[in-house]
Amino acid sequence: MSKNIRIDEHLISVEPYYLPLADEVELAEAAYGAGIPLLLKGPTGCGKTRFIQYLAWKLKRPLVTVSCHDDLSTSDLVGRYLIRAGEAVWTDGPLTMAVRAGAICYLDEIVEARKDTTVVIHPLADDRRELPIEKLGELLVAPPEFMLAVSYNPGYQSVLKDLKPSTRQRFIALSFDYPDLERETAIVVREGDVEKDLARLLVKLAHMTRSLKDSGLPEGASTRLLIQAGKLMAKGIPARTACRVAITGPLTDDPELLTAIDEMVSSLF
Amino acid sequence: MELEELKNVFFELVAPDLPNEWDVEEAIESLEGIPEEPLATALGQVPVIWPVSNSLCFSYLTQVAGALNCIELGLLSQWVNETLDHYERSGLKAAQRFMMDVQGHFVCRLQGRSGLRYSQVKGRLLPYVRGLAKKNLDLQRADCAFTDTLTIFLPREISLFTNEDDNFLLYKLIASFQWSYIALDSFLVSRNRGRANPSAKGILWLQDYFSGFSNPVLIADIYHGLETLRVKVFLDQELPGLMRDAVPILAKITASPFGREKTGRFFATFQQLVLSQEVDQENGWLQHVKPLLMYGATARDSLALAEDIYVALSPEAGDYERIEPLSFQGRMQLGQVASARLEQRREQENLFVESLATLLLTLPPVTGDAGDDDEAGGGHESGLAAPPEEAVAIVIVGNRGRPGEEENKNPRFITIDNREIELSEELAELAAAITLDLGTIPDQYIASATGKAGQGTPGLTMSAAGDGAELSAPITYDEWDFRRSGFRLNWCIVTEKEIPITRSTFIRNTLDAYHGQIIRLRHQFEMMRTSERFVRRQRDGDDIDLDALVESLADTVAGRPPSDRLFIRLKRDERDIAALFLVDMSNSTRGWVGKAIKESLVLICEAMETLGDRYGIYGFSGMRRLRCEIFPIKTIDQIYNDEVRERIGSIAPREYTRMAPAIRHMTSILKDVDAKVRLLITLSDGKPEDYDEYKGEYAIEDTRHALIEAKMAGIHPFCITIDQHAHEYMAHMYGEVNYIFINDVRKLPARMPEIYRVLTS
Repeated sequence: MSKNIRIDEHLISVEPYYLPLADEVELAEAAYGAGIPLLLKGPTGCGKTRFIQYLAWKLKRPLVTVSCHDDLSTSDLVGRYLIRAGEAVWTDGPLTMAVRAGAICYLDEIVEARKDTTVVIHPLADDRRELPIEKLGELLVAPPEFMLAVSYNPGYQSVLKDLKPSTRQRFIALSFDYPDLERETAIVVREGDVEKDLARLLVKLAHMTRSLKDSGLPEGASTRLLIQAGKLMAKGIPARTACRVAITGPLTDDPELLTAIDEMVSSLF
Repeated sequence: MELEELKNVFFELVAPDLPNEWDVEEAIESLEGIPEEPLATALGQVPVIWPVSNSLCFSYLTQVAGALNCIELGLLSQWVNETLDHYERSGLKAAQRFMMDVQGHFVCRLQGRSGLRYSQVKGRLLPYVRGLAKKNLDLQRADCAFTDTLTIFLPREISLFTNEDDNFLLYKLIASFQWSYIALDSFLVSRNRGRANPSAKGILWLQDYFSGFSNPVLIADIYHGLETLRVKVFLDQELPGLMRDAVPILAKITASPFGREKTGRFFATFQQLVLSQEVDQENGWLQHVKPLLMYGATARDSLALAEDIYVALSPEAGDYERIEPLSFQGRMQLGQVASARLEQRREQENLFVESLATLLLTLPPVTGDAGDDDEAGGGHESGLAAPPEEAVAIVIVGNRGRPGEEENKNPRFITIDNREIELSEELAELAAAITLDLGTIPDQYIASATGKAGQGTPGLTMSAAGDGAELSAPITYDEWDFRRSGFRLNWCIVTEKEIPITRSTFIRNTLDAYHGQIIRLRHQFEMMRTSERFVRRQRDGDDIDLDALVESLADTVAGRPPSDRLFIRLKRDERDIAALFLVDMSNSTRGWVGKAIKESLVLICEAMETLGDRYGIYGFSGMRRLRCEIFPIKTIDQIYNDEVRERIGSIAPREYTRMAPAIRHMTSILKDVDAKVRLLITLSDGKPEDYDEYKGEYAIEDTRHALIEAKMAGIHPFCITIDQHAHEYMAHMYGEVNYIFINDVRKLPARMPEIYRVLTS
């Protein structure tokens, strides 16, 4: 019973705002119907997580998100025995919980996890769709409602943190990128609560920073940063200041790039 | 000091060089009569300049007496440094020019009386324009502002305003205006619209077009003026912040004086409009240019209008005198645009040929049924159906079967001898750019590509010639000159060369001789491998620690507070180490030393193979700054196999020990390796030294600086040396604890793995 309550907390009841870039929603729905897991690729802050939230809402499934890190162990995903009042009690990990409840399990930044940890999803990610829980001696078969989704950013990960081909080749891959000028403007207007003209300038600024790759900026301003800058502006912070703290600062520490981005900001606003 | 005495001092300073006595006399003539202290300071700079350029040093000597009159003694070295900077960036003439005017070029600036210099703003503006342009535009300085579409040229200095911020803003405005000309396609006009030869396709280049007018300068100036107006409207819309900030400085810029005649009135109107100044509403020209004041006007509109205005102005513009353009407007240098275009065309051709050749090489060979041609399956390894000279009938097919995409916009296929080849995205973009420029992809591009592919592109294969075939293009590195506390730019040329292989029984003998030690080493190193161990009594873990649980239950029963550390966790200690061994291959390693170094390399490799750390081995030697040679013996990704062993066996003494460029090269390799710990271990037998003046303090300081650069890149340098005098300089170069001296070279093989073990555990 208690487990049910917990999984219910993961249900998304209000429609998250998501502006489709292409046919990704239809593709994801088709994959869901066919029981194929999803691999979401794209730069930071371009809407991968928002997309999966939207999908979970649309499919009316709870969404269990795990942010992966390099100390994440198999037990952290599957579950472990805990001691409660002198007794060993099994506690499901987020993955097991999602499988039991037929939820969507979303492993964010999967490449950050160690390779031996990611192997645990293999039987779940192919046509077997099962999760062996060794310690319980249980073989959990995923219900049709269950879906596995993982995400990673191919931009900044090193060769060492690439996904193993055996892991990759179990997914259908949806590539995300920053939306085009019009759509990104619409997103910033809606989420950042700013006027269209201001939003368009923010998006232009983002485009400028995104072309600084060869000048030493590994990634340009993400849509998320634009929205944050927009929110500050909506709170009455002057545009140049808002950009400085919400875009320039978070992007880099390099003094030359800082001043260069500041120049872009002052040219636009 | 007497001339004779001065001469002797000079010869001592530049020894062992022996410059022409006559030249020296002429140069130091002016130093006669300078008091002792300034003279000593002035001569003290000779060793700094002489090795960089003898001619510059002579010029310095003739100028320094004058310079000492205007600048304080303490600033002399700064003046020399700036002179050298000029020399390294722009050559001898520029440096001499700089020295000539001490007051204007140096003193005024120091006193803050001059404006803002290009070098002060470049770092800020370059990323700015690249951000604007969304491509790799370059910045350079020139006498006036213009752009050739690949580079924006900015004035050397702006001193129009008294305050630096305003001067910078003007720099930014110039850069933004010049970028806008490129962004708005001011230099190319599409041919298929408008009046100019409507039937022809492709783009119309202005230079070609203007040359048809009787007064090409006038039409160019009119067009440039109109384009500037269009750019202003564009910038008002695109960069409103900049244009708002620029209002005060625009107000300070005054329009050039114009005559009363028609031409003058036209240019006056245009400059007033650009500067947002009041224009008389009755002004006839205002009506003319109105269409350009709308956002969204095109270069074609400007050109059409320019033609009209030209017709109106030309009768009285027989001896048209060019007006001074607005400072941010610059001049249109159509000749430069044309040569940049040719340059770009050449680059595109090379890139296209290379990429297409590579693509063709990767294609599977044509089988017999792939084409009608009997020769099709004739065993061309490149996968081409025919030899290059027969590769004809080239057709670029548009986006076949891709509805919705404009025909020919991005050619996706290329047909060579009836074989349809799909282009990669990059190649398709390139093809599109070439098609836009030339109307089609010239046959010879494709012929060259198929030719290259047919021959098995020479650039792709590596010859294994006897004496050190070059493995990569030479790379230049700066060298640190401690006397001027600055770098000599692009001073050393480093080339990676293949080590000439000599066959010997060295490896077998070493493996036999150290058989027992190798087994021991392997065992030792195995213990250091990534260890996985269970740690007990953790608060959180994968499994329950039963011992701890029993204890805790017992404690509870006994009334003692139970522990909450009841879990077992699997802990992995990963060795994430990458090491590069840099081996001195100088002549002094002949004999025992070289043998010991080679043996120790074999041993360390055997040990490293068990350990699993990533490692590479490079040898270095060379002679003079232009020939620093690096011999890759094992790169970090290579496996330790017979070839590597053979290369270790072939390590032989060569020339000199210019250590710093080798260290800089190692740094550039190692800094791209993703590892928690990055080690650079140098094996050396003596001080850094080269054939030229690279020795003593200079060499040690340069090496020290290279090591500091390595440390800044997150690399730990360490040195193993067998030089008896190592203590005198090693601590200064590497730091007290970062080197080890081995007194008996015979012990080196045994010590080396041990040192590595201690270093990394």
